[in-house]
Amino acid sequence: MDAFGNLADGFGVALTPENLLWALVGVFLGTFVGVLPGIGPAMTVALLLPVTYSLEPIQAFIMFAGIYYGGMYGGSTTSILLNTPGESGSIVTALEGNKMAKRGRGGAALATAAIGSFVAGTIATLGLTFFAPIMADLALHFGPAEYLALIVLAFTTITALLGSSLVRGVASLFFGITVGLVGIDALTGQPRFTFGNAHLLEGIDVVAVAVGLFAVGETLWVASRMRHGNQHIEPIRGSLWMTKSDWRRSWKPWLRGTAVGFPIGALPAGGAEIPTFLSYSMEKKLTDHPDEFGKGAIEGVAGPEAANNASAAGVLVPLLTLGLPTSATAAIILAAFQRYNIQPGPQLFDRNPDLVWGLIASLYIGNLMLLVLNLPLVGLWVRILTIPRPLLYGGILVFAGLGAWAQSGSVTGLVVLYIIGIIGYMMRRFDIPVGPAVVGAILGPIAETHFRRAMQISQGDETVFFTRPLSASILAVALLLFLGPLIWTWVQRNRAAGTGEHPA
Amino acid sequence: MNDRIRESDSREQTIVEQTPEPEILSLWDRYGEAVVALGLIVMGTVVLLEVREIRVPRALTQVGPRVFPSIIGWGLIVVGLWYAVDVLRGRRAAPSDDSEDADPSLPADWSTLIGLGIALIAYAALMEPAGFIIASAVMFLLAALSMGSRQYVRDVIVCVVVSTVVYYVFTEWLGIRLPEGLLGPILP
Repeated sequence: MDAFGNLADGFGVALTPENLLWALVGVFLGTFVGVLPGIGPAMTVALLLPVTYSLEPIQAFIMFAGIYYGGMYGGSTTSILLNTPGESGSIVTALEGNKMAKRGRGGAALATAAIGSFVAGTIATLGLTFFAPIMADLALHFGPAEYLALIVLAFTTITALLGSSLVRGVASLFFGITVGLVGIDALTGQPRFTFGNAHLLEGIDVVAVAVGLFAVGETLWVASRMRHGNQHIEPIRGSLWMTKSDWRRSWKPWLRGTAVGFPIGALPAGGAEIPTFLSYSMEKKLTDHPDEFGKGAIEGVAGPEAANNASAAGVLVPLLTLGLPTSATAAIILAAFQRYNIQPGPQLFDRNPDLVWGLIASLYIGNLMLLVLNLPLVGLWVRILTIPRPLLYGGILVFAGLGAWAQSGSVTGLVVLYIIGIIGYMMRRFDIPVGPAVVGAILGPIAETHFRRAMQISQGDETVFFTRPLSASILAVALLLFLGPLIWTWVQRNRAAGTGEHPA
Repeated sequence: MNDRIRESDSREQTIVEQTPEPEILSLWDRYGEAVVALGLIVMGTVVLLEVREIRVPRALTQVGPRVFPSIIGWGLIVVGLWYAVDVLRGRRAAPSDDSEDADPSLPADWSTLIGLGIALIAYAALMEPAGFIIASAVMFLLAALSMGSRQYVRDVIVCVVVSTVVYYVFTEWLGIRLPEGLLGPILP
């Protein structure tokens, strides 16, 4: 497959004035909403989805590419200036970035984050350009059993490797899958779990799940324990330009962050948290200024920000080639594809080349636009941070309701949104991660379809998942990842108990 | 061996007496999370009961529409029990402190939550009869007031302007249908 030719065609699609305008609008809106405190990339994408509802698919996805990357950029700005990481991917950025802002180096922190994101985003998008077609070719050989195994693997990593407790992750996942059960059964056309309500026949929209859990749940949570009084925003002191020494200390972390972020993101089990933490600890080890870490070291911003953006591009590899979302944000993008009756997967590259390559080309363009837009507009972004909280969260509720209405056109949609919001509040209260629920809600039905197809092919023999070598090995990896942390804590506890027996 | 365990037990007790737990936990703090575990078990039971309501077409060969939901139903019950054990063994989850706007150490402010609840119910109730602009402005204002905003003039202006602008942008530019309601006669 000729990636260059395809990419050139993609640029042909993306570079028309109209599509450039959509990319610009997407980038701007994405950054704007991403900057809002407490709103991470997943919530940004979910809240802005209605904006694309009436567009043609190609325009919608070009705009989406901008929103996706813009949300990431906006989130890092907030982390640096306000110490409010909207999503776990930016926790590390807040760690060093906010300290830098406090020391009057906020300008340099924003600059290294923006340029690092651009470098990493561009290299990782290149990786996506060349790697995705190869992956799509490979994926053509997968049968339903392999797909089911991959989904099980994604479920495992998203619950076992993230969050504070395994049982809470699994609970969130099962809740999501259960929500996904509602609606007409795809294979037999029978209504399931609709409780006689005709509005539920179409199922519960994944975007409503995401908006309910993230936006409504988070708003209820913040409102129930609001810190009143003025927010402390670090003013941007000093130049926005990086000094020579800043450049010297940043470029290697950018590249290392990219090298960590893209491959892990591209695995069918990725996510953004692991690469950012890995990059942070790597920079901490390799730095020439260990004394600055924890007090605002520029490497600690440059590396993780690059890793975060590189993995965001990496996540698109399993999403586009296998239809497998490995983060909450990717799950919402998959929901957007489904709205247009487009099923991402190996055939996507053959059936909708304009759309895929237009989308990939827009990622390059959006990245460049963000670099140009972001630093000059930083004054505007700072002002967004000063929006009074009651108005900010009230506005989020308006948008959440608008999205639910636009999707369902009925009061049922709002009621479902509110119920999910209350559950989101409970999850926030008990530190139950929200991501697995969103991924479960969209992958549950897909898992069921593959499960039933595989059983159909094997004529009811359920050992098919363990006898095909590829699906068996994927399942083995999933089992290891699931049991690994359990065994580890068990060993740790035994060791602790062992030392406890001999009081000194 | 036994002696030694008893010895260390008593030593632990004296240590506990000397340094009392700084936070006093109510029963709700300690076991409130069991509600979540119970919720999962109830959810699983409902799924398993509702599975029987699904009609299975006779022509079907291998796996019908009941199999996967049944697996998930049992899965919910198992996870619920696992969760319950986790809670009863005293593992509590502290809400993470990752929002600068919220202070997880505060107790829940129920008056604000009830205010928000009224705002959201009003939104759903007004949407069709009164239309998007009125419903949004009312909900927005009620939500802002219940979250402690006291600059009435500014709030009213912001709520009305935002709701109206959002309505026009989405209906005129983005082609999304929103209920016009009472304002129908004067909207273009």
